[in-house]
Amino acid sequence: MTDASARGHNAPCSNRDFDFFYRGLEDERLLVQRCARCNQLRSLPSPGCESCGSLDWEPLPLAGEGEVYSYVTHYHPPLPGFAAPHPMALVTMDEGVRLLGAMDGTDPADVAIGRRVRVEFVRRENVAAFRFRNL
Amino acid sequence: MTTISNKTAIAGYGATEFSKNSGRSELRLAVEATLGALADAGIDPSEVDGMSSFTMDNNSEQEIFRAIGGKDLKFFTRIPQGGGGTLGPVQQAAMAIITGIANVVVVYRAMNERSEYRFGQPMHSLPPTSDNVIFAYHGFAGLMTPAAMLGLMMRRYMHETGATSLDFANYAVLARKYASTNPNAFYYGKPITVEDHQTSRMVADPLRLLDCCQESDGGVALVIVSAERARDLRQKPVYIRAAAQGSPKGTVSLGGFYKDNVWPFDECAAAGRQLYAQSGLSPADLDAAIIYDHFGPTVFPGLEAYGFCAKGEAKDFVKDGHLEIGGKLPINMHGGQLGEAYIHGMNGVAEAVRQLRGSAVNQVPGVRNMLVTAGSGLPTSAAILGVD
Repeated sequence: MTDASARGHNAPCSNRDFDFFYRGLEDERLLVQRCARCNQLRSLPSPGCESCGSLDWEPLPLAGEGEVYSYVTHYHPPLPGFAAPHPMALVTMDEGVRLLGAMDGTDPADVAIGRRVRVEFVRRENVAAFRFRNL
Repeated sequence: MTTISNKTAIAGYGATEFSKNSGRSELRLAVEATLGALADAGIDPSEVDGMSSFTMDNNSEQEIFRAIGGKDLKFFTRIPQGGGGTLGPVQQAAMAIITGIANVVVVYRAMNERSEYRFGQPMHSLPPTSDNVIFAYHGFAGLMTPAAMLGLMMRRYMHETGATSLDFANYAVLARKYASTNPNAFYYGKPITVEDHQTSRMVADPLRLLDCCQESDGGVALVIVSAERARDLRQKPVYIRAAAQGSPKGTVSLGGFYKDNVWPFDECAAAGRQLYAQSGLSPADLDAAIIYDHFGPTVFPGLEAYGFCAKGEAKDFVKDGHLEIGGKLPINMHGGQLGEAYIHGMNGVAEAVRQLRGSAVNQVPGVRNMLVTAGSGLPTSAAILGVD
């Protein structure tokens, strides 16, 4: 458990590479990193660019829409903070990066590869979060 | 051919029984397996000078060494990535022996995975290591178990190849068929049907309960020495023809969702390329295999990544019976980790040793060379083992 409260968010396990993402959610912004040298976008946070190795980057807000690339529905064992069955989708955002998001609030039968989705910002207890909804 | 090939051999193996509650400490299991392996090889414990294991193993080298009456331990090393690491300690042992750092290396894995902790539980609230912040980032969406992580990869595999849960049933049934005649297996005497598979509950759709490996207590150890030494010992030497690790660009531990291919595939293909280059062998030269089955469906992309069939064709390869004894590539004749036990793949290495010696319960006739793989969907490892 990290005490990240002094770093602007309440996500349970983060470090200084990931803080910007959770801080973005506090402002209802879905942020990814853009390499300052080669402009490559990356969603899974990392201190360095997988394309060119630069450590310089800036946060870029995504528009929030994309298409389901894959999905899974969790049934067992019980998850902390989510009811089962719990669908999740790996989404190719319109900017080209993939992002994994919860799809609670959507019937698992309505989750499918190729379907258009849009981000919805939610709070889970005291943590700013997001999920996807079908368009 | 590179220098690792055929320079070292597995001279002995040992294993405890596999159970849901061993009733003794993990260290005791590790010691029993180690002493069993040394006795099998005909090597006195005082000769052991190297030990290699998994970072996840809870038993320290020097404590096992103390308990077996060891004298002078010179080499000890650990490999990360849980079940992805299985053949890493074997590669470490081979390299240590070839370079003269050690002469008799014990590779071990022992755990009370079922009775004292369970790997399938949600991973959350962890210290913020570089891997854990990634698990937490995915866990933020509710993706918290290995089953869900592999399920997400396999759903895309199904979409691209047309493989279905019914195809996966074919492997689930075969693993229990092999296990049903293996007295060491959880599924001994308990074969299952396609219907049993199809009606088993969802764990992480598309993965059903009967697609999942066992949760097990138990220990397995190997003794590795030079090929020359092995030829003077009591067992037929099982040569390490190749041993490799694989973690190509884009690999993330149980989270490689951001590269072109999200199947549990690229890391296996990377290990396979090295194995075939080291050994001079090709997939057609392999008589049987142990393909890691943390989840049975991952066997399908595994067969493709190691070159036994083209991408997307594993469903037909399996349906046509090629994994059976008499087929093109019998696999997991001990019942795999679905049917026998889950000891992070080390029980599969032991099965390969038995097959190559000709002493397995479900023996493939005339086996000379076998592939053994480790967990996929994370940095992985693999080996080719063989006999003269």
